Amino acid sequence: MKVIQYFNKNKLLTIVLLIYAVLFLITPAKAGLAVKNSIYYIVEMLQIMPVVFLLTAILEAWVPKEVIMNGFGERAGLKGSAFSFILGSLSAGPIYAAFPISKMLLKKGASVTNIVIILSTWAVVKVPMLANEAKFLGPKFMGVRWILTTIAIFIMAYLTAMIVKIESIPMTELTHKKKGGEININEQYCMGCGICTRISPKNFKMKNKKAKFKENDVNDSENVNKAIEKCPVNAISN
Amino acid sequence: MDIFTVSLWVLTFTALFLSLVKNKEKTVSSMKMARSMMGSMIGDIFGILLLIGLLLTFIPPENIKNILGQSNYIASTIVSAIVGSITLIPAFVAFPLVGSFVDVGASIVPSVAFLTTLTMVGVVTFPLEKREFGLKFALTRNSMSFAFAIIIALLMGVLI
Repeated sequence: MKVIQYFNKNKLLTIVLLIYAVLFLITPAKAGLAVKNSIYYIVEMLQIMPVVFLLTAILEAWVPKEVIMNGFGERAGLKGSAFSFILGSLSAGPIYAAFPISKMLLKKGASVTNIVIILSTWAVVKVPMLANEAKFLGPKFMGVRWILTTIAIFIMAYLTAMIVKIESIPMTELTHKKKGGEININEQYCMGCGICTRISPKNFKMKNKKAKFKENDVNDSENVNKAIEKCPVNAISN
Repeated sequence: MDIFTVSLWVLTFTALFLSLVKNKEKTVSSMKMARSMMGSMIGDIFGILLLIGLLLTFIPPENIKNILGQSNYIASTIVSAIVGSITLIPAFVAFPLVGSFVDVGASIVPSVAFLTTLTMVGVVTFPLEKREFGLKFALTRNSMSFAFAIIIALLMGVLI
């Protein structure tokens, strides 16, 4: 069981290691060469990984996301777009993590333009990733791509707003809610950061890299609410 | 380490120091969050890095140059953009992979197309996007991102 679990967690790595094992048996010389070829990239990665990790953490700690999001309804025009750009660039996580946050902002009155800006910047121009890109492809490559992408994002955002009217976006909650009082975790959005399990270890646990709600006789509702609020992708709802 | 990496380290550790001084608890809890997020990627990261070694050993650089090189870059750019759209690997591991291809002679045009669609176009996440924002939005955003990825790639080819 343990082996299968480990395999499911690290499919790619396990397969690659198996290939290496077979290679070492058949042609040790080629296998050695492959290891040598990898080492250069592993060393480079180890040099940049701590930077990306720490930058992600520092941004997460200090960017006042709530402040940015709370004022969204009132901000229109260029200022709103600039805020969207900043929010997207400084957040952590894959693009689907931006879906629930963007949806929430739409309900608060954000425009289609700004939602496209958030989703696209969230996907492509993340600050810690820029460091990684510059490391492997050179600062010039990173810089030029960043400028071109930024321009493209703004053009796309305004074009999309012309094509897609806000009325065509479903506003009603499609996720079926459970009966009152129950906590619902949207697993498709959970990115396994584990914040909820740290805020309220009594009520949340991690299983297969996803947060799960633990039914308890005594629910620590104060901390559960805090966890709902702190979830970086708004995946928990009650 | 090159000067670029060294300056990043200096910058990052200065920021970390300031962050710790200002609010230790907040900083540590964010680091824990970042750790769990990165932790789930670490297997994939090393998997890809070891895969690069295999690819570089068994695919002769001439082949990479022929397929992804300057000669037929329009076709290879479109194919790269499609591959980028359907794969869902973290951008984090895509950079060394693409970097290794560029190092042995792949043209940057298909490389940029791949990197841009990889993150901006999501065929796998399309159903999710459609559910939250409607078909029209998801279709418009994804197809426009695909087109712009190719435009960005071609411009990069001219500029660099």
